[in-house]
Amino acid sequence: MPAFSFVQPSTTDEALAALRLGEPGETMIVAGGTDVLFGLEGRRIPLKRVVSLRHLPWKTLSWAGESLRVGSTLPLRTLESDPDLRRRIPGLWQAVRAVGSVALRHRATLGGNLGRSSPASDLIPILLALDSEVDIVGMEGERSLPVDQFVRASRTTALGPGELIRSVAIPEARPSAFLWQRVRPANDISQVGVAVAYSPSQKGWRIAVGGVVPRPVLLPQAERLLSGPFPGAAELRAAAQEASMRAPFATDRRATEEYRRQLVATLLQRAVRAVGAHPSSPGVP
Amino acid sequence: MTFTVRPDADAKLRGQVAFATDLSVPGMLWGALVPAPVARGRIRSIDLGPARAIDGVVAIGPTDLARLLPSATGDAERPVFPTDRIQYHSQPLAAVAAPTRELARRAARAVRVDVEPLPPLEEIEGFDPAHPGPDRPEVIAHVLARHGDLDAAFGSADFVLSETYRTAGVCQVALEPHACIAEIQGDVWHVTTSTQTPFGAREDLASMLGLPEERIVVEGTWVGGAFGGKGAPLVEPYALLLARASGRPVRLALSYREEFQLGRTSLPSVVRIESAVKGGRITGRRVHWRLDAGASLPGRDFTTGYAIGFILGPYRIPAIEMEGYAFRTNKPPLGPHRAPMAPQCVFAEESHMDHLAARLGVDPVAFRRSHVWKEGDFTHLGQKVGPFGLDRCLERAGALATTWRKDAAPNTGVAVGVGFWSTVTGAGGEARLVLSPTELKIIEGEREIGSGSVIRGIVAVAETVLGISRDRVRVDYHDTRSAPFDSGVFGSRTLAALGQAVQKAALVLRDELGKRLSVPADSVQLTEENGELVAVSGRHRESIRSLLTETELAAGGLTSEGRHYGTSGEIDTARVVEGTFYPYTDFTGAAHVAMVKVDPETGAVRVTRYAAFQDAGKVVDLPTAQGSIEGGVAMGLGTALTEETTWAADGHLSNAGLLDYRIPTLGEIPPIEVHFVEGFSGAGPYGAKGLGEPPIIPVPATVSNAIFAASGAAMTELPMTPERVARALKLL
Amino acid sequence: MTASPARLTVNAVPVDLTTVPVGERLLDTVRWRLGLKGTKEGCRTGDCGACTVLIDGRSVLSCLTLTHEFTGAAVTTVEGLEGDPTGARVRAAFEKEGALQCGYCTPGFVVALTSLLKERGAEASAEELAEDLGGNLCRCTGYAAIVRAVRRVHGEMP
Repeated sequence: MPAFSFVQPSTTDEALAALRLGEPGETMIVAGGTDVLFGLEGRRIPLKRVVSLRHLPWKTLSWAGESLRVGSTLPLRTLESDPDLRRRIPGLWQAVRAVGSVALRHRATLGGNLGRSSPASDLIPILLALDSEVDIVGMEGERSLPVDQFVRASRTTALGPGELIRSVAIPEARPSAFLWQRVRPANDISQVGVAVAYSPSQKGWRIAVGGVVPRPVLLPQAERLLSGPFPGAAELRAAAQEASMRAPFATDRRATEEYRRQLVATLLQRAVRAVGAHPSSPGVP
Repeated sequence: MTFTVRPDADAKLRGQVAFATDLSVPGMLWGALVPAPVARGRIRSIDLGPARAIDGVVAIGPTDLARLLPSATGDAERPVFPTDRIQYHSQPLAAVAAPTRELARRAARAVRVDVEPLPPLEEIEGFDPAHPGPDRPEVIAHVLARHGDLDAAFGSADFVLSETYRTAGVCQVALEPHACIAEIQGDVWHVTTSTQTPFGAREDLASMLGLPEERIVVEGTWVGGAFGGKGAPLVEPYALLLARASGRPVRLALSYREEFQLGRTSLPSVVRIESAVKGGRITGRRVHWRLDAGASLPGRDFTTGYAIGFILGPYRIPAIEMEGYAFRTNKPPLGPHRAPMAPQCVFAEESHMDHLAARLGVDPVAFRRSHVWKEGDFTHLGQKVGPFGLDRCLERAGALATTWRKDAAPNTGVAVGVGFWSTVTGAGGEARLVLSPTELKIIEGEREIGSGSVIRGIVAVAETVLGISRDRVRVDYHDTRSAPFDSGVFGSRTLAALGQAVQKAALVLRDELGKRLSVPADSVQLTEENGELVAVSGRHRESIRSLLTETELAAGGLTSEGRHYGTSGEIDTARVVEGTFYPYTDFTGAAHVAMVKVDPETGAVRVTRYAAFQDAGKVVDLPTAQGSIEGGVAMGLGTALTEETTWAADGHLSNAGLLDYRIPTLGEIPPIEVHFVEGFSGAGPYGAKGLGEPPIIPVPATVSNAIFAASGAAMTELPMTPERVARALKLL
Repeated sequence: MTASPARLTVNAVPVDLTTVPVGERLLDTVRWRLGLKGTKEGCRTGDCGACTVLIDGRSVLSCLTLTHEFTGAAVTTVEGLEGDPTGARVRAAFEKEGALQCGYCTPGFVVALTSLLKERGAEASAEELAEDLGGNLCRCTGYAAIVRAVRRVHGEMP
């Protein structure tokens, strides 16, 4: 492969300047770097530079009251190891634990996962259910977008040229759960992932599904069928049925559409019950 | 026998053992293969020019073979590069070598291959193999055997249960890819390679390259896992030819993708099994088996006539018929995967047994025990059954299953599955022992592939004969130039062949020591004193140093040799209507118990407990035996639940990687209880039975039966992924 | 633009990255440039764990790592754990339990488990440690003896 240059900015300005170098398609941005080698193969436009975000001061994690802000290049393992995460936002902890393996999570990042925007992402559903916001920087300045508007399709996001994800804001620590199903339990891509979160402030549920096309989605029609923090069996079944009908599944090599519809109904009910059963839930007003 | 630490453990733990992928020699070039872009087609042209234009690249194709091969023939049936027809997707059509790995990849991609694609032949069902018609895969093996009055059995049955089972292809997935370094040294074509069978590789290479065996040297390395996949040369022919073409040593290792695309392994199969039952007994059984044999050649198939017997099972059935067809399709040639096709055949047969038992309303274990072979019975091909511990294994498995059922939670099932195997003798094994004042050296030609059968098993045999401590025994591997012949590590045969060769050689030594001490041979044992070996018999004690002559000391020690060429029993040829069947050498049974939890809403299966009762004859080295059972069960769980090769319509393998071809990870393996049943002798020393393959065989069936017990879902397809179980549960 | 000098250390030995092509994987730098063959090449796609090394004490898959990404970092391979007390405990436990057969996955497990023990210390249970080894594949042992080794070394941690 022809040589490319390796650029390692240490400030935001340096990073944004690096993105303006060269022609579109010649530059690859690397956060955790677990996908970088796959990005070197089969390119239509030869790679001229790799911009590594590793030295940027974006490996932050800060709680402010109920909200959490996670830097986009913080390794997932570090997020997972936060002493408060599992207790306060269990769904996010479960989702992070679901990603790859420990060695992968020592490098993989939220920013990388969002940028990759895979329909099978294990992180995007919970970020949707938490009403997370993506904090973006570019030459034009900063802006913030809900995750739901940020992800569009596989490898397609609302990031404009010259923009980078700086952090992800989770406005409210919610009782939540993330359940998934795979052919093989560990180190596999999920067939279906269901993230649920109850918002104490909005007094409502959020339900998001992964393993759909073209990208993970929220299911407001199913959400509306759940009244209150401890839905009864009939409501759960109705919401599950709605999710099963509404979620845009397709058949691929991991599962048929039919099976996915069966899975989402089951996982949704179990996830909501898991939230109700979680030690943190008595805090739900 | 002591539970000691493996002699290779320390080096392996420190990363100090060199595998074939680790080796490097000065001036070495990196090889790469040029893959066929279609599964079936005609080659119009191969243009090596663009590859050769890259600085430092050597490229060879079919038209170069004439000048590279000394006798310009090679094996017409298995040419190194095809000249006309492509047989399977990614089949190597040419090869390149370059100064770096990167350049080699680039050069391989630069070669221009022009082909005329043809539709691949893949479908093995839906037509009569006797009259296939055009555009159907060719039959490369047809076996048929019959015994007893089938019409009477099926005509007078209380009921007939007829089922069809389908199994997927599975891959060995040794973590180490195939790799070798080839070098032409004068007249000698030398290859250092990861192989189960150095002598077998030499023979194959001689045939493929048209060279006499004496001009080929195969030096085996430590093997990073094999499971049947490293028994035949895969990369060596290309590496040797590249070395010849370039005048440089060439390293050729498969990428992991190529491991999947080119590996010779198990392929899909379809089994129809029908049993006639009368008065609670199986009175007749018919099986019809179709096996996808990939691009195998006629006359080179060992599997069909061997594995098909497992579909009838180790049961007394008065009337039987087994018919098997192996088809030539556009996949890589079928090859041996740990107990070739046995787990798949037994999955069908043993699941069928539980379904029969359910239909009869009887206990599945009791049902089996009322039919199972014991010594003195006859196999379906009329061979007398030797010492066989399966019934004892079944008895104990059944008792354990009953205990486990008491603890069973909702949606949980406990069930039993059985299997049997026979040590595969191959040709035989030889060993040379050298007893010096300080150690016993075993000179032999097999490499340790992992299980410990070489580095511990044969050492244990020497230890048993001579009483010598293991620390004083050294296995000294020699390459094909100087090693005593051995067929290799496969077919669970190491103890039976090489082990008995070592036993014989050790007995010769003991005899000689007895003579020199003027005591009965069987009273002699070796011990140590002040760092030297001492022969002891009653009150006689003499150092080996003083027992050896000057000449012997100068030569390194007292030498002895042992050879063992085993025999198999005989089948009753009157039962054979068509094709080649194989007798068994011994009878190694196994009964397994699984406790499984089935998620009634998703079909996900979790194996929560597992136990293996293994008919072992005599356990020669406990850690080796235990490790083989634990590893075999885990591999079987992969075959049972998650492993399958998935072939696209155009014939390429769509899951050629470890993300989409799923082997078990650590968290999925339940605690496994391992129990050995001894006393029913096998073909090995002290009646030991080979244990490399038996443990994988019953696993898919045992899990299938446990799923049936847990949920009532009769599983008829492998692997039993959550979606397939969900369908069997009628959730979809 | 680069935050640190173009070098890193491998087992405490400095490596000048100006001699390393930018597209080179850490796995290949370690094995072929530095001759440290203890780290094994398995799948080269990040799925098997045989290539596990430590970067600043944390396990990573060196086959998925561009050497140049980690300028300024300290890389440790299995060879670098020779004198490490936790590494020694791990090796001893594996040896006693016979938690290896062919040995190809073994360095990856040793490195991964050593790093886990240091990262989580006494707070993790043996079960959690075993779960965290899910990224390391083994085909020979069926993991049973490896799990026993994990329990043993966990029980022996000070």
